[in-house]
Amino acid sequence: MICEHCKQRKATVTVTQIINGHKSEKHYCEVCAAQFHPFNLDFHKEEQIPIHQLLSNWFGMPIWKNETQERAVQPSIQTNACPACGFTFRKFLNEGKLGCPQCYETFGEKLPQVLAKIQAGTKHTGKRPGQKVDNNRIIKKQIEHAREQLQLAIQDERFEDAAKFRDEIKALERKLEMGGVDTP
Amino acid sequence: MNLEYFLKAEAPSWMGVDGEENDIVISTRIRLARNLDGFRFPLIFTDEEAKTVDQMVTQAFSQLNNGNHHFSHFTIQEMPVLQRQVLVEKHLISPMLANREKFASVIISKDEAISVMVNEEDHLRIQCLSPGLQLIETYEMANKLDCQLEKLLPIAFNNQFGYLTSCPTNVGTGLRASVMMHLPGLSMMKQMKVLTQMLARFGMVVRGIYGEGSENLGNMYQISNQVTLGKAEDEIIDDLQTVVMQIIEQERNARQTLLKQSQVALEDRIHRAFGTLKHARIMTSEEAATCLSNVRLGIDLGIIKNVSKHVLNECTILIQPGFVQQYAGTTLEPGERDVFRAKLIREKLNDGNSKLKEKGEEKHDV
Ligand SMILES: [Zn+2]
Ligand SMILES: [Zn+2]
Repeated sequence: MICEHCKQRKATVTVTQIINGHKSEKHYCEVCAAQFHPFNLDFHKEEQIPIHQLLSNWFGMPIWKNETQERAVQPSIQTNACPACGFTFRKFLNEGKLGCPQCYETFGEKLPQVLAKIQAGTKHTGKRPGQKVDNNRIIKKQIEHAREQLQLAIQDERFEDAAKFRDEIKALERKLEMGGVDTP
Repeated sequence: MNLEYFLKAEAPSWMGVDGEENDIVISTRIRLARNLDGFRFPLIFTDEEAKTVDQMVTQAFSQLNNGNHHFSHFTIQEMPVLQRQVLVEKHLISPMLANREKFASVIISKDEAISVMVNEEDHLRIQCLSPGLQLIETYEMANKLDCQLEKLLPIAFNNQFGYLTSCPTNVGTGLRASVMMHLPGLSMMKQMKVLTQMLARFGMVVRGIYGEGSENLGNMYQISNQVTLGKAEDEIIDDLQTVVMQIIEQERNARQTLLKQSQVALEDRIHRAFGTLKHARIMTSEEAATCLSNVRLGIDLGIIKNVSKHVLNECTILIQPGFVQQYAGTTLEPGERDVFRAKLIREKLNDGNSKLKEKGEEKHDV
């Protein structure tokens, strides 16, 4: 069967929904299913609801069934499962959590779609093991802020405050010269 | 350090009165989530794996050459329930870790500024706490420990997804930066709902500090980043810093407006709260939190003098159920707790000042 949504990939997920006693069944591919899954509610709109709550709210929602699970022992289950922990992508959608570090590699192609909904991006841009983090950007921002405060203090003739901000700026500039490391 | 040391009825150093903007920002917290490669996440790991992870982490800490920080290791299973609760109330462990029966442990630094939870949702949760607004400094503290541990442990990392975590909401940097703020002005001006909604747009979350379901108890709020992937550590911290500075400014404005519009009513409210704390004989944690918030505001506005922030910070921690029972030396029914809580606060506020002088020599921050 072909996916009812994209009409491209093979449908492997059956969604059973019961509305007013009327039962309807939809068939989606894994990619589309992941998109419609309640787990993927747009987080930027539903920010306050933590993931576990979304999942616990979820029992009143459509029941997701895997075709392969119904057909009992199927070789395709093995290919879909994480070799290190046995987690499937569907199990991940159910639990909201992954089974082991290896899962990220196993589901490396499908994960970005989920991550795009809950994160600012799908690629890590921060620290790497063995690497130093550069604090300069934050320090520059702090200097900028202190300068604004200094201007305000001068305008309002709060000279004690102004002196305090001047010292703060000096200390921050020193820190910047030292490469973002605190001086004792 | 034995466990009793960490259960003592005093505010930990990170609730000191140092730190910038400390009239509004109580404390800063940085959390890094890390896992060990080759082991399943705590959600599904075997007892054998759990044990090995705990041993590896303990081993790594024993090799750490950390001049400033002396670490102590505690196994959760060996702790009585009440002691676990006290550690939760001190923010040294999470409720989730406290409820774990097997191979969960915590490593705490002597000054309580660093606590590392082992086998919580992730294998490692590095947590650092500082008084006031100190995002960069606190992040540096956590990062330093992270760098040291990375040399001793096989930390799970992936080029695309960064530091790998059990929940995809933590993946990438594994960084959750939080700032605990006292916002009575914005609360009284009914601005918190708008603020919460606005912050959500910037990927920030607002929570009450005494845990779920106690939303705005004592007007204390925790503001933290939601996003951990697609932004670098310094961007996350910078964005939070910017937002927090704006909230501070708005809170200051709100306080001035209140003072201008209804000074007598505000003074009345603050002095009443102070009187209640000093004289009440039955005190629920809700009432205590509300009164403490009003007195704190009173100190900030110069309406109440002769009460130290230090004592107030201590009370904020001590009014919680676990601490009250720790103080009583036994488990108590809620009704009995309220009586002990009132007694505890009276003692703290009435002899707070004499105690303060004794402490003055060793503690410079009072
Ligand atoms: Zn499809
Ligand atoms: Zn796995």
